[in-house]
Amino acid sequence: MQMPIRPILPTAPRPSEDRRSWVAPLRGPLLAAAAVLLLAGCATPPPPGDKEAVAEFQHTNDPLEPANRLFYAVNDGLDVVFLRPVALAYRNVLPDPVQRGVHNVLTNLSSPVRLANDMMQGKPRRAGDTLVRFVVNTTAGVVGIFDVADDLGYKYHDSDFGMTLASWGVGEGPYLFLPVLGPSNPRDATGFGVDIALDPFTWVGKGSTVSNLYITRTGLSAVDARVGVLDDFDKIRKQALDPYATIRSVYRQYRGAKIKAAEDDNRATYPSAWKQQPPAASP
Amino acid sequence: MPTRRSLLATLLVGGVTLRATAARADDATTAKTFVNKLLQDLINVVNGPGSADQKRAALQKLVDASVDVAGVARFCLGRFWRQANAQQQAEYVALFRKVLMNNVTGRVGEYSGVSFTMGSSQARDGGIAVSTTVTRPHNAPNTVDWIVEVAGGQPKIIDVVAEGTSLRLTQRSDYASFLGQHNGDVSVLIAALKRQTS
Repeated sequence: MQMPIRPILPTAPRPSEDRRSWVAPLRGPLLAAAAVLLLAGCATPPPPGDKEAVAEFQHTNDPLEPANRLFYAVNDGLDVVFLRPVALAYRNVLPDPVQRGVHNVLTNLSSPVRLANDMMQGKPRRAGDTLVRFVVNTTAGVVGIFDVADDLGYKYHDSDFGMTLASWGVGEGPYLFLPVLGPSNPRDATGFGVDIALDPFTWVGKGSTVSNLYITRTGLSAVDARVGVLDDFDKIRKQALDPYATIRSVYRQYRGAKIKAAEDDNRATYPSAWKQQPPAASP
Repeated sequence: MPTRRSLLATLLVGGVTLRATAARADDATTAKTFVNKLLQDLINVVNGPGSADQKRAALQKLVDASVDVAGVARFCLGRFWRQANAQQQAEYVALFRKVLMNNVTGRVGEYSGVSFTMGSSQARDGGIAVSTTVTRPHNAPNTVDWIVEVAGGQPKIIDVVAEGTSLRLTQRSDYASFLGQHNGDVSVLIAALKRQTS
């Protein structure tokens, strides 16, 4: 039997579909981005004589600061006119239980990625928590709408490939503020990409329904995540003298705390009741 | 062979270590009791009767009594503290206190119905970290660690760490970055804080 290979092979590009046509509309923005990076350049280190300033510069670890600040400004502008109003409307219009349900479903959908990362971090109890949460919440929790597992003592925890890399000893690297994605670093940005690849839903099916669902999920996730930090961000914008530096500090501390929490979570894999048994008498 | 002197030294060192351990345990208890009482007082004020102004005044009193405001202010200025003259230092501390008070009392309304549970305590960050779980209605519970310094008997809060984020570290990086952009001129920071509090 002949396999139907022909249809998936790319057909000869028609003049309107040739390779230049998809680059052409992007050429402007790409050139602009390159120009920005060239113009913005790198942060200027303080004079080597000022030891404290040098120490601070190294501690801040933000060599691309000028470019980062530019992307921060762009993101901030987009946020003010688009994402924040959407998040505000979402929070004010939808009833609390609906918002919680949506949040729970989204969290449940990302369980496979967390499970894979828990396992790669060598944390069996955390992997167990994630697995039980997924099974219980998908069934008893009605496709994840209700977080039944939480009431049973299986608490949620974050787990992503950035954390996995950290657990393998990979350092965070210099600070990055990425367009659209926001505060990051080479390690976490890599993790973000790997997590997408790890997500089974990235690979499930094709077709407009599937891709529409995927887009809906991505959009809802963005709004849900933005709602979660509405008050904190507003506070930083209002109170910080330099919101960019404040967010940089908060992001690093927050990630550090998460990585440490995972590292310190060394619960035994045997039932806790076993611990209470008296040790066997030595001969 | 252990001489009498080395035995004595061992006993002495052992004794000192034991006393230090006992002192730490005492400090941990003191810190825990202190945080528990402070949170209870805060909640009584926030959820209690009284006008918003009365609540604000009561909160200010609590903050002054329980937070090492001058110490935290100094920490947040970091290496720029020594570059400031005495008058600037005094002015800065006063403004820092005002900003802190505004931040604490400006959100009285949001904290109604708040509750907390006490967690463990351990030595950390130059003080004793007392963990609590703070729950606000319609919000997921937050882990908040209160870093208490028990020097000279009177415990004082030197930092609050919410979900792994230290308030004083965050504040310090904010000020450091701001000052970095203004040639480390503390008077510019003072002017900015004045604008913020007016």
